[in-house]
Amino acid sequence: MADAPGLMEPAEEIAYETRCAEGAIWTGTRLLIGVIAMAFAGVGFAYFYLRSVNSEGLWRPHGQTAPLLLGTEIAGAALVGAILQSYGLFRLRRGLDLDWSVATWATAGAGVLGCGLQIWELTRLGFQPGQSGYASLFVAWGPLSAALLLVGAYWSETLAARALRMKSAVAGDGGLSASQLPRARLFRASAEGAAYFWWFITTVSVLFWLLFYIV
Amino acid sequence: MAISATASAGLGQTGGPAPGAASPARGSRLNVGTAFAGAVLGYLFGHWLGNAIVSGDLYEVAFNTSTNNVAIFLALLFGVVGWLAGIGALNYPIAKIMGKEAPAEIPEEGWARFLKFTLDHKVVGIQYVVGVLMFFFTGGLIAMAIRTELLNPTSHIFGPNIYIQLVSEHGSIMMMMATSIVVGPLGNFLVPLMIGSRRMAFPRVEALSFWVFISGLMVILTAFPLGGFQTGWTGYAPLQEQSSGGMDSYLMGFGVIGTGMILAGFNMAVSIITYRAPGMRWSRLPIFAWSMLGTAGLLTLATPVLFAGVYMGALDRTAQTALFVNAHGGSSFLWENLFWFFGHPEVYIMALPGFGIAAELLPVFTRKPLFAYRVGAAGMIGVGLLSFFVWQHHLFQSGINPDMRPMFMLTTELISIPTGFIYLVGMGTLWRAKIRLELPMLFVLALYFNFLFGGITGVYLSDVPINVQVHGSFFVMAHFHYTIMGGLVFAFFGGLYYWLPRMTGSMMNETLGRIHFWMMFIFFNLTFFPLFIVGLLGMPRRVFEYAPRLQTLNDISSISSYLLGFSFVVFTINLVWTQFISPKPAPPNPWNSKGLEWTMPTPLPFHNFSRIPVILSDPYRYGEPDALPVADFGEIAAATSSTHEGLAGAQPTSSGTEEV
Repeated sequence: MADAPGLMEPAEEIAYETRCAEGAIWTGTRLLIGVIAMAFAGVGFAYFYLRSVNSEGLWRPHGQTAPLLLGTEIAGAALVGAILQSYGLFRLRRGLDLDWSVATWATAGAGVLGCGLQIWELTRLGFQPGQSGYASLFVAWGPLSAALLLVGAYWSETLAARALRMKSAVAGDGGLSASQLPRARLFRASAEGAAYFWWFITTVSVLFWLLFYIV
Repeated sequence: MAISATASAGLGQTGGPAPGAASPARGSRLNVGTAFAGAVLGYLFGHWLGNAIVSGDLYEVAFNTSTNNVAIFLALLFGVVGWLAGIGALNYPIAKIMGKEAPAEIPEEGWARFLKFTLDHKVVGIQYVVGVLMFFFTGGLIAMAIRTELLNPTSHIFGPNIYIQLVSEHGSIMMMMATSIVVGPLGNFLVPLMIGSRRMAFPRVEALSFWVFISGLMVILTAFPLGGFQTGWTGYAPLQEQSSGGMDSYLMGFGVIGTGMILAGFNMAVSIITYRAPGMRWSRLPIFAWSMLGTAGLLTLATPVLFAGVYMGALDRTAQTALFVNAHGGSSFLWENLFWFFGHPEVYIMALPGFGIAAELLPVFTRKPLFAYRVGAAGMIGVGLLSFFVWQHHLFQSGINPDMRPMFMLTTELISIPTGFIYLVGMGTLWRAKIRLELPMLFVLALYFNFLFGGITGVYLSDVPINVQVHGSFFVMAHFHYTIMGGLVFAFFGGLYYWLPRMTGSMMNETLGRIHFWMMFIFFNLTFFPLFIVGLLGMPRRVFEYAPRLQTLNDISSISSYLLGFSFVVFTINLVWTQFISPKPAPPNPWNSKGLEWTMPTPLPFHNFSRIPVILSDPYRYGEPDALPVADFGEIAAATSSTHEGLAGAQPTSSGTEEV
């Protein structure tokens, strides 16, 4: 490690490493979704396991249900986030950087709102955590759901803030949507990943909304 | 190759800072000292907060609250956060909120860089070597305490409560260590070199995984002053609910280690898929990298389920949920399912890297191509996939529907087929070979010898009738020590002797190494083989007393364990003497290997490769005079870049970088 910090790279190598980094974002997004999906699969397994075992007849006595309206709003926030992020990406691909920025800030807001509602809901439950299998599992799922929404909001917010800082640097090269600078290409790869991730959040939110509020 | 060249920041990861990047200097002042300070402050804050929440009085400073699980959990949680903040791991995630680009790392010289949050995969690899050895020696000392208690069937040193605490701590520490013993040190150091990359895909994630891993050791050790935990490493409910404050350390420790494992696996998988050099087809990928890919897949997909399990356990102990409490609508078997859904793939998280090392070293010391390379790679992936379908064999005695047993018996026996593939790749390579019995090769041969016992007894254990007889006995204990220590740990030390000259530029002492090997091999077998017999004779695990007729076998095991422990003293002396006190410079390629990792100068350049290599063949073409070199580093690449396999012809695809 005694060589100079800077590396003299031919243009092909820079282009090659940029493609590798884009691929890493693409693959990393899918793998991250896999990781989180497995954690939520653990919760889903617990739902069906406790429900089928129904220990002492205490899976869900008296049809306990968390506040439906709040739950619907939380799932709705996730859905709105996904739609906004995807719409923003759609506009970015057409060169409308400002539209993407507005949509992404709004997505981050939807994520924070959903997270806040989820935390608030946990204070408004009509049951105690250890009252039943359902009650226990709902109390376990709530913070995970809030954390997932917060991760989505963080991803969107950091992208939007990064876009603000990059704006002048890429302005002469076609802007965020068209610049071929490595940082702009990686930014777009990350924006695409964020949209994909938001659909994953929505899928999880809606599936567990069905399990906890509707079924 | 293009003539024009520009000074590159390596996409903002190394070299000069990218515009708008966070200042690199700010993070560079942080080191392990500030991390400790952060951990202590975080611990104190968390403890105060936990007491405040429980007491309802924010100004009351409570102490002596060993039964306040909220305070313990929050203290440990904030302690870990403080540790990470103190080392600088949180600088960039916070800077990102303000839209800053990745800060660049300025390469550092000297020892100080090993005490910092660094983005150089080579430094992280060496940090991991030290980290896993710390884990290993801590767990090993506890193991000798356990064997000391078992010297006599009725006279006691520790008593039942301390004994079970020692057993639980030993198991947990060793399992935590074993999940990272190869992926961490050797995987992080070697994989980029083997695949022809200048870096890992996510260097911050890589560095974070190490500092999270180290904090896991500290967390699990806090169990001792908190009263330990009595569940063994498996943490079964309902004992989990009843255990003292040390159980909080267990749950938090596995949560923290699990996070580190996910991070390490995530980064490893993405790096191998996307950062392979041009020409590095899947069929040319070194077999060690295949084993890392299989292991990374298991780490990323199995560990989140463990995370969900320990999270639920933590809620049961703090938020008064009843997920594992049968009387309130939960189920203690839920924990067993979640734990073993992770726990059995974990066995292969520990087995695959060992076989990867063995298969990588065999061609070097037999001077033959690796036998049935594709079968070996397929076996590794097959083992990984099947490992998700066997977990219920751990519940044969735990009240599952008896009709389910044959199915899981079958899936468990099926997994011996791809495992057999991997084993036969080794045997096929050894067949009619002129074996060079150099030090690393001795460890590889020992792995195959030991694993034969561990693997075959594993097939016995998968059969329900035998499982019913020996479940919970020392037979099971001997079985998994033969697979994990006899397989993985032997492979790790073989790999360390083999690759340390590459990592540090210094050779280990051969004589001391051979003394280490023979002591380790002989006394490992004398320690654990008698335990098969005492297990079959009915001696249960985790019990501090036993039938007097079993004393002789237990004494053989205990005395051998001390000598086994002494073999690691020999290793440590060798390591310290040859790497720190009197380093002997290693030749550029001491084993005459064809591996890509041996083609670079010593010390390794910061960016690994001054030019990205173009891979021309796999690294196992021993005894083939007309074989192409493994890679081209310049001139040929320039000539071929516009033809078939140069950089210009390489395109990353959805499955990674492949040639057009």
